[in-house]
Amino acid sequence: MRMKRYRYLILFALMFIQCSTDDADEINLNLAEEEIFDNKDSSLASNNDSTLTEQEATPDSGNSNTTISFEHKEMLINWADNIILPSLTDLEFSLNQLNEKATLFVNTPSNDNLLVLRESWLNSFLKWQHVEMFDLGYAEEIYYKNRLNLYPTNIERIEDNISSLDYDLNQSYNFSSQGFNGLDYMLFGIGQDDDEIVSKYLAEDLNYDKYLIDLIDKMVELTLAVKNSWNDEFRESFINSIDNTSTSSINTIINDFVYYFEKGFRANKIGIPAGVFSNNVLPDRVEAYHGKIYSKLLVTEASYAIDNFFNGRYYNDNDSSGLSINAYLNFIENDQDEKLAEKINEQLDKIFAQLDQLDNDLSMQVVENNLSMLSTYDVIQANVVLLKVDMLQKLNINVDYADADGD
Amino acid sequence: MYKIVQDYYSKKNEHPASLALFRITFGGLMFFSFLRFWSKGWIETLYINPSYHFKYFGFEWVIDFGPYTYLLFVIGLIASFFVMIGYKYRAAIISFFLVFTYIELIDKTTYLNHYYLTSCLAFVLCFLPAGNYFSLDSYFSGQKGNRVPAWSVDVLKIFICIVYFYAGIAKINSDWLLEAQPLSLWLKSKYDLPLIGQNLMQYRVTHYLASWFGMLYDVCIPFFLLFSRTRHIAFVFVVIFHVLTRIFFPSIGMFPYIMISSAVIFFDTRVHLKLLSFIESTLVITTSFLGLKKKQLTTNIQAQTSQANQLIFFLLGCFLIIQLLFPFRYLMYPGELFWNEQGYRFSWRVMLVEKRGDITFKIKDSVSQRFFYVKNEDFLTPFQEKQMSFQPDFILEFAHHLGAYYKDEGHQNIQVFADSFVALNGRPSQRFIDPNFNLLNTEESFKNKEWILPLNDEIKGL
Repeated sequence: MRMKRYRYLILFALMFIQCSTDDADEINLNLAEEEIFDNKDSSLASNNDSTLTEQEATPDSGNSNTTISFEHKEMLINWADNIILPSLTDLEFSLNQLNEKATLFVNTPSNDNLLVLRESWLNSFLKWQHVEMFDLGYAEEIYYKNRLNLYPTNIERIEDNISSLDYDLNQSYNFSSQGFNGLDYMLFGIGQDDDEIVSKYLAEDLNYDKYLIDLIDKMVELTLAVKNSWNDEFRESFINSIDNTSTSSINTIINDFVYYFEKGFRANKIGIPAGVFSNNVLPDRVEAYHGKIYSKLLVTEASYAIDNFFNGRYYNDNDSSGLSINAYLNFIENDQDEKLAEKINEQLDKIFAQLDQLDNDLSMQVVENNLSMLSTYDVIQANVVLLKVDMLQKLNINVDYADADGD
Repeated sequence: MYKIVQDYYSKKNEHPASLALFRITFGGLMFFSFLRFWSKGWIETLYINPSYHFKYFGFEWVIDFGPYTYLLFVIGLIASFFVMIGYKYRAAIISFFLVFTYIELIDKTTYLNHYYLTSCLAFVLCFLPAGNYFSLDSYFSGQKGNRVPAWSVDVLKIFICIVYFYAGIAKINSDWLLEAQPLSLWLKSKYDLPLIGQNLMQYRVTHYLASWFGMLYDVCIPFFLLFSRTRHIAFVFVVIFHVLTRIFFPSIGMFPYIMISSAVIFFDTRVHLKLLSFIESTLVITTSFLGLKKKQLTTNIQAQTSQANQLIFFLLGCFLIIQLLFPFRYLMYPGELFWNEQGYRFSWRVMLVEKRGDITFKIKDSVSQRFFYVKNEDFLTPFQEKQMSFQPDFILEFAHHLGAYYKDEGHQNIQVFADSFVALNGRPSQRFIDPNFNLLNTEESFKNKEWILPLNDEIKGL
C-alpha cells in the first residue's frame, strides 16, 4: 500500500519537472528575441552579444529550442588575461624603467635628471591605479596595495631610516615609508626647491640615493612577485572557480571591486582629505601630497580603471572588451527595461564630470573650495549605493567578510 | 464546551513514545548545533569579538561574558546531551532553555527564525513529561513509564502547525506570488548547481513554480500531516522540501533538520515505537560491547497517566494563543511591513525578503553646523553593519550609541542623522531614513517610527 503511494509521488515529481522544462523553453525563446531587439538600440549592448551563448537543448528533451546562459568562466578569463595580467605586466615594465631613471639620477644628480625621474614616477603611479583594486591571492597575502600606496607618508620614519640606514622595508611599520608615496616625498618633499632636492642627492654622506633605490627595488621585487604568482596553475584555478561562494573568484573580485570603490577610491582619495570623516579638512591626506599637482590626475586615472573594469575593456586596447560585470548585470536583468548597469555607467560619467571641475592639486582644493570636493564625494557615494546595495542584490553576492547562518 | 475541554484535558492520553523520541532528536540536534556553532568560530566572531551588541528592546541587561561566554556553550552542550539521554531531564531542559535563550538575547544581530523556534520548543518541553520513558531517568529509577496526556503531545503538533501555516500565509503577497521575488534573485544566482544551474534555475517559470509550491507547501502541510490518510506522503514532502532548501540555501543552517525531525511527532505510536526500538537495538550492540548489563528500555508502560497539571495546561494554552496572535501585531503599524519591519520578527516570516542597505551616520554640531561622517566599521563587525543597514530599530539603537560615544569624546550639541539607502526584493534602492531627522530626538519604543520614509511601491497581501 505504501509503496504505491511512493510511486505516485515519483510520477508526480516527473510530471512536475517535465512541465517546467517545456514552459521554460517557451519563455526563453521570448527572452532571446527581446535581447536581440535590445541590442539594436543601445551601443553599449554591443558587448552583450558575446555574453549570450546559445546552447543546443539536450536531444532527449524532444525540443530543438535554445536556452540562454551566461558564461561565467569567459568573464573570469577576460578579467585574468585581458585586464589583470596586462596591467601587472605594464606596471612591472614601467617600474623597471623607473629603476633605470633612478639609477641615472643617483649617478648624476641634476635638475634635468630629476625631472626625467619624476615623469617616470608619475607614469608608474598612473599604471598602479589599474592594479590596486585586485587585492587577491598573493597580492593580498603580502599586503601589496598597502606597501605600494599607503598614505599619508610617514616622513619622520623615512628621515630616521635614511639617517640610521637601519631599516627593514618588509616590516609593517615601514609600509607608510615606502611605495609611490614614499617616492613622492623623496622626489618632491625633501627640499624647498629642485636645487635643494638635488643637493641632498649630491651629498653622498646623506644616503638619500640609497634609500631611493631601495624603495624602487622593493616595488619592482613585489610587483614581479605578484605578477609571477599569476602562473599557469593559479590562473587555471582562478578561471575555473566560477561558483557563487564566498571564496570563489567571481565573488572575491566583485567584493574587492566594491571595497576598492568605497575605501580606496571614495574614502582615501576624496573623502578623507575633504574632512568627511573628521571635523576639519585634511589637505595632507591626498595621494602624492608632495608632488602637489598630481593628486587629481591619479584619482581621474583610478576612475578610468574602475570604468574599464566594470565594462570589461581590455587594458591594452580600450576599444575591445569582453564579458564584464556590466554584461553579467544585463544578463540577470534581461527581462527588465531599466538596467542597473546603465545607471551605474551614468553615475560613473557624473563622477568624471565632477572630477574634471576640481583643481589639479586636491590639497589646494580642500582648502580653497571644499564644497566642490564634498559634492564630488556625494556623487561617488551615490554609486557606492548602486554597487553595494543594488548590484550585490541583483548578483546575490554576499559581502565576503560577514559569515553566519541566515533564514 | 467546558465539558469537551475537561474530558480532553483529563481523559485522553497517549503512549509516551512520541514525546520520548521528540526529546531525543531535539536534544541530539541541539547538541550538534552547539558543536557546529563552536567549530565555525562563531562564538568568537559573533559574541566575543564585537565591541558593541545590538539589544532586544527590554533586554538591554543581557551581556556577553567575554571569553567566559564559552561557558554558556559548555552548559548548553551538557544540557542538550542530558536532554537527549533523558538524564535529570527537567533540570536539563530548563537549563537548556535558559542558556540558549540567553545566548540569543546577547545580540539581536544573530536573530534567526529557527533560533526563536528552538527557544519556543525548549520552553514547551520544560513543561512536558518527556523524560520518564526511554530515558536514563527511567532506567535508573526502574519505574515503568506512564502514559502521557494527549494535550502534552498535541501542544507540540499545534505549535509546529502554526509555524508552517504562518510561514505559508506570509508568502501570500504580490512580491512572492506575482513577481516570484525574492526567489527569482536567489535561484538565478544558483547557476553553479550541477545540471540544473545553467538552465532550470535561470527560467522565470521555475521561479514562479518554486514560489507557488513553497507557499502551498507551507499552508497545506500542517493539514496533510494531521490527517492519518495523507500523513505518509506529507512526510515524504517534508523531507524533500527541506532537503531542497538545504541544497539551494546552504546558509539556512540547522533549520531543515529541526523541521524534519519535528514533523515525526505527527506519526502514531507504532512508528515511534519502531524508531525507538531501532535506537535501542543499536544501543544494545554498543552496551554489550562495553560489557554493560542489558536492560529493556522500551518496556511496557503503566496504565495510569502522568499527573496532569491544570496550571501547565492553562499556561501552554496561553502560549498557543499568543503564538496565534503575535504575528499579526504588524497590523497595528502603518506602512509596508517588509520595508519598515515593525512587527516582522517572531512571526515565522522565513526566507521571505531580500534586503540590502548602505548607511552612513552624520554627526552634527547643531550650533556650529559642522559635521562629519562615522565609519561604521570602527564600531561594528561587518555582519552587524550588514544587519543594521536595513533594520530601523538597529539604526536607532546605533545612533544613540554614537551620540553617547561622541558626548564622552567631548563633542557638544550633538545631532545624529542617517544617510541610508535600502533595496527590497530587487527593486531599485531608495532612501530609507528621513535624512533630516535627528535620531537622538526619539527613543526606542513600540510606537510607530515616523522617520522611516515610505516604500515607493505597494506590496499587496497578508
